[in-house]
Amino acid sequence: MMISVTRTPRVALPAPLGVILSLLVLAVIVGWSLAPGLFTGFDPAIGIPADKLQGPSAAHWFGTDHLGRDLLARVIHGTASSVSSAVIAVVIALVLGGLIGLLSGFLGGWVDTILARLVDVLLAIPNFLLAVIIVTALGFSTTNAAIATGISAVAVFARVMRSEVIKTRSATFVEASFLSGGSRWHILTRHVLPNASRSVLPLAVLRFGQSILVIAGLAFLGYGDPPPASDWGLLISIGKDYLKWPWLVYAPALVTVVTVLSLNRISRWLRKTD
Amino acid sequence: MQGAYMNYAAKRLLQAVVVVLLTYVFTFIVVSILPGDPVTNVLRDPQNGFTEAEIAQIVAAQGLDKPIPVQLWHSLSGFVTGDLGVSLRSSRPVSDLIAEVLPSTLRLAGGALAVALVLAMGIAYGARFLPHRFGGAALRALPSLFLSVPSFVIGLLLIHIFGFQLGLFMVIDPNSFWATFFAAVALGIPISAQIAEVLMANLDHEASQDYAAVARARGLRQSKLFFRHLLKPSSLPVVTVIALMVGEVLGNTLITETVFGRTGVGSLIQRSVVTQDLPVLQAIVSLAAVVFAVINLIADLIYPLLDPRVKLVGTAPRRVTTADELPRANA
Repeated sequence: MMISVTRTPRVALPAPLGVILSLLVLAVIVGWSLAPGLFTGFDPAIGIPADKLQGPSAAHWFGTDHLGRDLLARVIHGTASSVSSAVIAVVIALVLGGLIGLLSGFLGGWVDTILARLVDVLLAIPNFLLAVIIVTALGFSTTNAAIATGISAVAVFARVMRSEVIKTRSATFVEASFLSGGSRWHILTRHVLPNASRSVLPLAVLRFGQSILVIAGLAFLGYGDPPPASDWGLLISIGKDYLKWPWLVYAPALVTVVTVLSLNRISRWLRKTD
Repeated sequence: MQGAYMNYAAKRLLQAVVVVLLTYVFTFIVVSILPGDPVTNVLRDPQNGFTEAEIAQIVAAQGLDKPIPVQLWHSLSGFVTGDLGVSLRSSRPVSDLIAEVLPSTLRLAGGALAVALVLAMGIAYGARFLPHRFGGAALRALPSLFLSVPSFVIGLLLIHIFGFQLGLFMVIDPNSFWATFFAAVALGIPISAQIAEVLMANLDHEASQDYAAVARARGLRQSKLFFRHLLKPSSLPVVTVIALMVGEVLGNTLITETVFGRTGVGSLIQRSVVTQDLPVLQAIVSLAAVVFAVINLIADLIYPLLDPRVKLVGTAPRRVTTADELPRANA
């Protein structure tokens, strides 16, 4: 008996299909935040009252809200604030957490002991609650919500960074570099940091998505910028009072979910390929 | 062994106490660097209608005229002896305010943890044993989806479908059975995702062990293999995950209770944030840290007893407990 094996010809993709789709989603999101005017002709702040609460249609893909504003335009114009605040949060978490982890892992001793207690404290307060008390202390605004979200994620970065630094520092090649006369600074910048950053990068992408969710949660509770800002969390929060017109909740929610899903997918891919 | 365990237990206990005290100090510092001096904002709010004499009295009673370190010492020693202070808004003891709303939140959180456990077991079992075309692969992706949906959206979705469309419950009656049930589901879904991820990773590991291969070769049915052999070693790390999740549940009640219109600790936090009632916030955050510390202490103390493989070397046993720490091949 002859068995013929035919292989379907395949175009080699540079990355899995899901990752490519996720990158496309991100490209659209970046486009929306940089040049919202290119993607919608409607004004996000001024609506046509006669057109209020229309369902999704060819003219208004996401429908219109209670003031007759095009919801897609509101989502697109809210992107910059929703996304850049998450970037701020991740940068704060990355820099502060990375520094704490680096210092405690590299220096060890009493520095490590003190910083470890600080991280314990940050971990002992429920994440969202920590963000809430910090934003209460700073005052309600989207930027402050971003700072609070960043601080609430410091502990995770500190932990990962610390364990990576310790792992790298005890590696044979680092020892070799030290024995052949490399200074501590040289070892830190040339060996420890590049190696540690490999596992911190996927974490940063993952946290980027989670920060979008946390900031949306803070905006939902009213701790971000007040209307007419149109952050995604705020749009959902306004939409919840009009559940008879569910697209007011589901459209911005869908955009949020697709964005976060894409970021998670990219983070998983980065983790696998490094 | 006995001596080593007692040594470990004593160390862990001391560490927990230190963390709780430091958390109290940390919260106090965060709350007292508030730029807008909320204390006088609250007291001078015309709605409250305090006279100058009354304000002076309250300030003196709360010790607000003293320097910050003195206030901290006063407040901390109160906390250690179980005195949580007095609300700025209502002038009632904070412990009374919390005690009033606690039962409702405990019901919600308990329900959420139960929902999360059942869901996570179902997802992990299905992802392990269902053939791909019957959804095994889709189930594996489910936790990632759950973690990408804002928890308030899950709540609104449930209210829309089961409250509005199917009429199972009314939002104006948040304490009815179905309203509580769906609030618990909304709170439990993100938690279930994190438990499921750890459970799936550990199940994969256990299923690749020799003993599992032997059991399969003996012709053991899948369900028996799962419940008799794989589940126990795989769920040990879950003990720690659940302990970590308790804090998360407490924080997230803030959103769930707001969405479902329930009264509870979460809505008390929301009210205190909006009115800047700092003693209440300070107390709730510190109590959350106490709950977190106690539960993690218990989890760490029973862990070596549950798993004889864990060797104590003076530090906490090492396990995979969060998605961030998963081995890369599984992630």
